[in-house]
This record gives sequence, structure tokens and C-alpha cells, in this order.
Amino acid sequence: MTLLDWLIIALRVLVPLGALIGAAGLMSWVERRGAGLIQDRPGPNRVGPFGLLQPLADAIKFLFKEDIIPSSADKVLYVLAPGIALFSALTTFAVIPYGASLPLAGREIPLIGADVSIGVLYVFALTSLSVYGIVLAGWSSNNKFSLMGGLRSSAQIISYELAMTTAAAGVILSASSFRLTDIVAVQSGTWLGFIPRWNVFPQLLGFVVFFISTFAETNRVPFDLAEADAELVAGYHTEYSSSMKFAMFFMAEYVNMTVASALTVTLFFGGWTLPGFHPHGVLGAVLSILVFTGKTVFFLWLFVWVRWTLPRFRYDQLMRIGWKALLPLALLNLLWVGGLVTLGWI
Amino acid sequence: MARLVFDAAAALTILFAAVMVVHRHPVKSVLALVVSFFGLAVCYVMLSAPFIAAIQVIVYAGAILVLFLFVLMLLNVGEETREREPWPFQRIFSGVALVVFAGMLLGLLRAHGSAIATPRAALTGEIAPLARLLFSRYLLPFEALSVLLLAALVGAFVLAQRENRP
Repeated sequence: MTLLDWLIIALRVLVPLGALIGAAGLMSWVERRGAGLIQDRPGPNRVGPFGLLQPLADAIKFLFKEDIIPSSADKVLYVLAPGIALFSALTTFAVIPYGASLPLAGREIPLIGADVSIGVLYVFALTSLSVYGIVLAGWSSNNKFSLMGGLRSSAQIISYELAMTTAAAGVILSASSFRLTDIVAVQSGTWLGFIPRWNVFPQLLGFVVFFISTFAETNRVPFDLAEADAELVAGYHTEYSSSMKFAMFFMAEYVNMTVASALTVTLFFGGWTLPGFHPHGVLGAVLSILVFTGKTVFFLWLFVWVRWTLPRFRYDQLMRIGWKALLPLALLNLLWVGGLVTLGWI
Repeated sequence: MARLVFDAAAALTILFAAVMVVHRHPVKSVLALVVSFFGLAVCYVMLSAPFIAAIQVIVYAGAILVLFLFVLMLLNVGEETREREPWPFQRIFSGVALVVFAGMLLGLLRAHGSAIATPRAALTGEIAPLARLLFSRYLLPFEALSVLLLAALVGAFVLAQRENRP
């Protein structure tokens, strides 16, 4: 391998990583301005144009704050927990294709971190590991509110993972592949000349179940029981005084949101494809990235919209929805997709 | 390179399995087991069985051990303390077990050396051949296993019900 090959690999890893971290910063601004918009108030608008530099100011503030570790905390795990949360959030994006291939210097560069044969399973494996960040933060803090937050989160994530994977199984079935590039490829083209071949149309039920479950997996309102401020102070990160460690949890939440939106787009909305859009050349690759970003941004906004519109569920309601509504619906969707595939309709 | 990664992962797996047994704090033991399972998953990837690796992480590290952790935290189990001296025959038995284990290890090494077995062509990489085998040649064991799991589930349900009866 030449130096250029190594450089391309490094860029394929670093550019999405930087974009993801940048998106997390930007989303914290969107969230606060969005809250302002919905609640009829300005939101942060002082730092830079439209308050756009607010995330930067926050980052600088976090860096210079005193870092306090509670004296009765388990030091190693207390420090490790935010790292696990951010690591599992960032690495999930590696298998998601974010554009068509980019022709550069006589090479076709696939716009994806790693095109592995078990793409979907890799995502679920890392999502299931992300619970350790929250559980360990809750336990190592040696605080009853933190512990309650951690316990709630672990039960919640395990319960909703079931519905989420079963809903995604429908997509895997219709593409007959775990590879995310294959899943995107089968969704290009149209039905009857005008309906895009996106999985969301035959599998509307699967999409609804999947998207609701991502709210629980990312601990967002209406399922943010792990940090329910009204009951648990701040849940699992109560003892993380607003230092860099808190910032890591904060970033992990927004990165998780971004990855969940990107995954929803890839599984149900055709990824970077659009009907009638056949990208070639550098311009095509750039446009395909923009299409993917546009679709993802819509779902990111939906996360914010829901947060400032809906109230929080009670814990028993959360469990009832997960086990008695979403899981049976996901199974029903699987049966439906299985029928469609057997009849050869999709 | 691949060999180096495999060896490192295998060493990590064994090391943390040992930590799991030796550590006195149950929560730390579970966490050591998580690392051990993760190392095992890396071993599977290096043996070109990524599907098994993903399932290993999803099922064991992501679900079963989280439940272990959940129960340990719910009961707030503290560090273990030695309450009595071990019985003398306990030591004898553990010595015998160690000798048997060492013999097995030696036999395995003698038979296969240190070479990594070449994986069966039908099972490398892709998932489709694995699924085909699972639903044709191994259909009966596969289904029997699911019935076994169902029986365990019903059993757990019955036991939990008995607790609630007035």
C-alpha cells in the first residue's frame, strides 16, 4: 500500500468522526434554539450570529471547570463510564454508508467507514454495549439517584432492543443481507414510476416501531426515565459535576441521536439514494452526501420536536408499551414482510 | 499481523477470565467477564466468523451480563469475605481438577500444535451458508434447543407465580 492509500483510509475514518462530533455540537444549539422556538422565547442568541458559537463557548467552559470526583465513588469506573458511553456512540457510525463512491486519483473510494458483512448486527452489538456507560456511571457514583437512573436505563434498553431488532429484521429479510450497502442498494429505483422503493412504504409498521424504540435506546423524551429530572435530580449523571466528563455524556447523547437518525434513514428511507438520482463523478458523490445529510437532519429535528412537545411516560407505562405494544407489533411486521417476500412482491 | 491480533485477544480473554474468578467484588467480576467476552469476539472475527462474534457480543455481553449487573446492583451486593476456612478435601479436589485440566491442555497442544485450524470453507464470512446449515442439517437440534429455552421460560414463570400467591 502506498502512502496515498493510507491517507485515504485515515480520511475515511477521521472525516465522518469529525462530522459526527461537529453534528453533536451543532445539535446542542439546535435543541436549545428549537426549545425556544416551540416555547415562544429566543433561546441562546448572544454568542456569534444566531448564537451559533454557543456550543464552542460551552466547550471552553467545560474544559476550564474544576473536575470533582466524589470521595466515596469507585474512581476507576467513575472515570471509565463516560468514555464507554462516548466510544460506543461514535464507533457505531463506522458501518453506515453516507454517500455514493467518490472517484479520486484513479480510485473508487466507498463513502463508508467499513463495509462489513454483518453491518446491522455490528450496530446492535455496539448499541447493546452503550448501556454499560450509563449503568457504570450510576453504580460507581455511589448515589441513590444515580443508581436508580442506571437501573432504569438497563431494564429499558434491554426491553426496547428486542422490539428494535425485530423491526429491523423485516428490513434484513427484504434485502436478504445484513450489509448496509446492500440494504441501501435494494431501496434505489421506484414502484409504478413515482413511489420510491424505500422500505418505509411496505413496512410502515416496522418503521414506527423502530423509530419509537430509538427514543428509548437513546434515553430521549418521552422515554428519558434514566435521568428524569423531576424524580432523580439528573439520574445517572447526578454526580458528574458539569466538567469534561459530563460533557462526554452530553455529547454521547447527541451522537447517539445522530447515529439513530442516520440508521433510520439507511434502513427505511433509502440512505443516500433518491428516485431519479444517479450520482457519478465528484459532484455526484458530494450531492449524495447532501441527500443523506438532508434526510438525517429531518429525523434529528423530529427528536428535538418530540422532546419539547410530549411529556414523559411513567416507568410502568414505558415497560407496558415496550413489551405489550411494540414487540407484538414488530412480530406482526415481520410476519407481514415474510409474507410479501414469499409471494415475491418485494 | 492477524496472528498478533488473535494472540493478543486470546491473552486478554484468558487474563480477564482469571480476574473474573479471582476478584472478590461481584460487580467487578461481571465487568471482567464482559472484557473477556469482548476478547473472545475479537478471536471469532480473526477466525473469519464475524456473525458468531456479533451474536457473542449482542447476546452475552449486551443482554445476559447486563441482567447479571442489574440484579447485583438491585440487591447492592458488596465485596465477598471469607467466612470460614476451606474444607481440607476441597483443596484435594481442586488439585485433582487442576491436574486433569493441565492434562487436557497438554493433549490438545500435542494434537494440534499451535497452528490455528483452517476454518471450514462453508462457514467462513458470509451468513447465508450458516443459515442454510442451521435450517437443513441441524434443523432438529436447532428446534429442540428452542423448545428447551421455552421450557426454561415456562419454568421461570411458574416459579415467579408461586411467590405471588397469597
